[in-house]
Amino acid sequence: MLKRLLMETDFDHLKSLISKVEDLEIMEIPGFDERLRRLPIELNSAGFDRWGMHPETIRKFAPFLYVLYKKYFRVEATGFENIPDGRVVYIANHGGQIPLDAMMVGLSLLLESEPPRIARGMVERWVPTVPFVSSLFTRIGAMIGDPNNCRELLQHDQSVLVFPEGTRGSGKLFKDRYQLQRFGTGFMRLALESKAPIVPVAVIGTEETYPSIHNFKQLAKLIGAPYFPITPFFPLLGPLGLVPLPSKITVRFGKPIYFEGSENESEELIREKVQQVKESLQNEINTGLEIRGEKIFSGAAK
Amino acid sequence: MTDSAITKKPKVLITGASSAIARLVAGALSPKYDLVGVDPRPAPRDTHFPGEFVVADYHSRKLDEVFLRHEFDSVMHLGRIRESQRFSSQYRFQMNVIGTQKLLDLCKLHQVKNLIVLSTYHVYGAHRLNALQLTEESPLRASQSFPELVDAVEFDHAATTFMWRNREVRTTVLRPTNVIGKHIRNTICSLLRSGVCPKIFGFDPLMQFIDEKDLARALILSLEQNVAGVFNVAGEGVIAYSHAIRHADAVTVPLPPFISAGLVRVVAELSKMNLPPYLMEFFKYPTIINDDAFRAKFGYQPKVKTVQSLRNLGQITDRRHLIAQAGSLDESV
Repeated sequence: MLKRLLMETDFDHLKSLISKVEDLEIMEIPGFDERLRRLPIELNSAGFDRWGMHPETIRKFAPFLYVLYKKYFRVEATGFENIPDGRVVYIANHGGQIPLDAMMVGLSLLLESEPPRIARGMVERWVPTVPFVSSLFTRIGAMIGDPNNCRELLQHDQSVLVFPEGTRGSGKLFKDRYQLQRFGTGFMRLALESKAPIVPVAVIGTEETYPSIHNFKQLAKLIGAPYFPITPFFPLLGPLGLVPLPSKITVRFGKPIYFEGSENESEELIREKVQQVKESLQNEINTGLEIRGEKIFSGAAK
Repeated sequence: MTDSAITKKPKVLITGASSAIARLVAGALSPKYDLVGVDPRPAPRDTHFPGEFVVADYHSRKLDEVFLRHEFDSVMHLGRIRESQRFSSQYRFQMNVIGTQKLLDLCKLHQVKNLIVLSTYHVYGAHRLNALQLTEESPLRASQSFPELVDAVEFDHAATTFMWRNREVRTTVLRPTNVIGKHIRNTICSLLRSGVCPKIFGFDPLMQFIDEKDLARALILSLEQNVAGVFNVAGEGVIAYSHAIRHADAVTVPLPPFISAGLVRVVAELSKMNLPPYLMEFFKYPTIINDDAFRAKFGYQPKVKTVQSLRNLGQITDRRHLIAQAGSLDESV
C-alpha cells in the first residue's frame, strides 16, 4: 500500500506548484471579499468579532489557502444543499496528524457554500501554548474545545466543527485510516441543549497526507504533544518531510440529523445517539471511499 | 425641618477617592449626592474633591469615626490597591483584605443600603484552559499561578461572600477588564501610553479594554439601579494585543516565551517599566470576560469605541505634561 502511495505521488505536480508560489502575492480570488462580507459575523471597531475572529487576517492568508485548497489538494466538496440555516454542529472524521481536514472543511464552507458560512473549529487544549499557532487559530475563528465555548457559540447561532475522535483520530496510524475511533459524547449534550442539528462531514484524502507508521509516544510526552508521528518522510527527510503528500481531498456534507431529548440524559442514552451519528458518518465515509476507488491522488468526487 | 428632609441628598462614601476613576465618578455624582471621600493617599494637589475628604487607611480607627459622623446610604469601595511594585504584598494584604473586611463590617453595622465594590478581571487569571468568554461563574484561577494576586482574589471573595450573607445590604461587585484612559495609571495603560510595550514572542492574545468614562458610567449605573450581584464589565469588544499596541501608536519589545519571573523583575528594573511578572501570563493567554449580564440588567452600553480609546492614549505625546496635569480632571462623564 505504502509503495503504491509513493509511486502515485505526483512530483511534477509538486514542482509546478512551487513555481506558482511566487505569483501568489498578486493573485486575486474572484468574489472572495464579497463572500467575507456576507459571513454572518458582527465586527467591532477593531475589526474583530466577539470571539476574536479577524476577517482581515483571513484575507491576508487567502491566496495561500486558496492555492492549497484548489491546486494542491484539489478539494471537491459536495452536499452543501444538506446544510440547514442557523446553528449547526458539524461532526467530521479526524485524520492525518495535522488539522488539514478542519482547514479544508472550513475553506469549503467559506469558498463554495451558498450563502458563505463559517464553521468554528474546536481545537485541542494544548494549542494555546503553541507560539504563533495559538493566535492564528483565534483569528480564523477556532477556539479550545471547551463546552462553555461551544455552548456560547451555538446560543449565538454560530456553527461549530467538532472532531469527536480528538487526537485518537488525528494521531492514528496509516493502517487504521478511515476507521472511526471512539467518539467523545460532549457534543451530543451540547447539540441537545441548544437544539442544533448535526451534519456529518466525511473528509476523504487527509489520511494519505501524512501516512504515520509509528507513534513515538515517549518523545510526544517529552515535548508535551498528544502524539509524535513517524512517516516514511518525517523525520527522515527533515523539514521536507513536513510537506504533506498532495492527495486529492473530498469533503461530503451528509444529511442533517435532528435529535430530540434533554442534555441531562444518562450517558447510556447519549451514547446511543452518538452511535447513530458515528454510523451515519462511517456510511458517508465509505460512500466517499467507494467513489474514490484506487485513485488516491487523482480520483473524482462524484 | 420638612424642607431639609426634602432637600437632603443621599450620602455616599467613596473609597480610593484620590484615584482617577473615583474622581470621575465623584464629579458626576456630586450634584445629586452628598459625597465623602476616603483614601490613604492625600488628595491630589490641584483637584478639589466635591465633598469632605479624609486621609485614612481602611483598617484604621479613623474609618470608624467617618461612619459615626455620617449616615451613609451607599458606599462605593473603589479603593483596591493595584498589584504593582510600588507596594509590598503585605501592605496590599493589609489594605485590600483586612481593610476591606473592616469596611464591610462597618457597612453592616451602620445599615448601609447599597454597596458597590470595584474588583478586577485579574481574579480569573490568564490560563490556557480559560473559556474564550469568561462568565461570572468561571473559576478564579489567578491565585493558583500567581501568589501576587492572592489579595485581589481575597478582596473579590470577601465582597461576594458579604453579598450572600447580608442580603439587607444590596451589594454589587464589578469586575472590569483593563481600564484605559487619559487619567488612568494602571500598568497596562501606562505601558500603552509610554509608547513601549513588552510582548511575548509568538503570542498575541486577545484583550479587552474599557475606557475610564465607560467604567465611571458603569459605576454610576450600579449605584443608581437596585440590582445585586457580581458582574463583569467590558468595553466595546475584543482586540489582539499587537493591534492594541499599534492603535496606541506604541512599539513592541519582544520578550522570550519562557521568561522567568526573576528575569521579568530584572527587565522591569533596568527599563524602569512597571512590569509585574503575573502580567506575562496575560500577555500569553486571553482572559476575555463576558458582560452580557451587566448589559442586560443595567442597560449598560459602552460609548467609547476601543480603537478610539487606544488612539487617545497614543496622542498623548509629552509624558511630563501628562504627569503634571494628572491631578486635574476637566472632563465630565
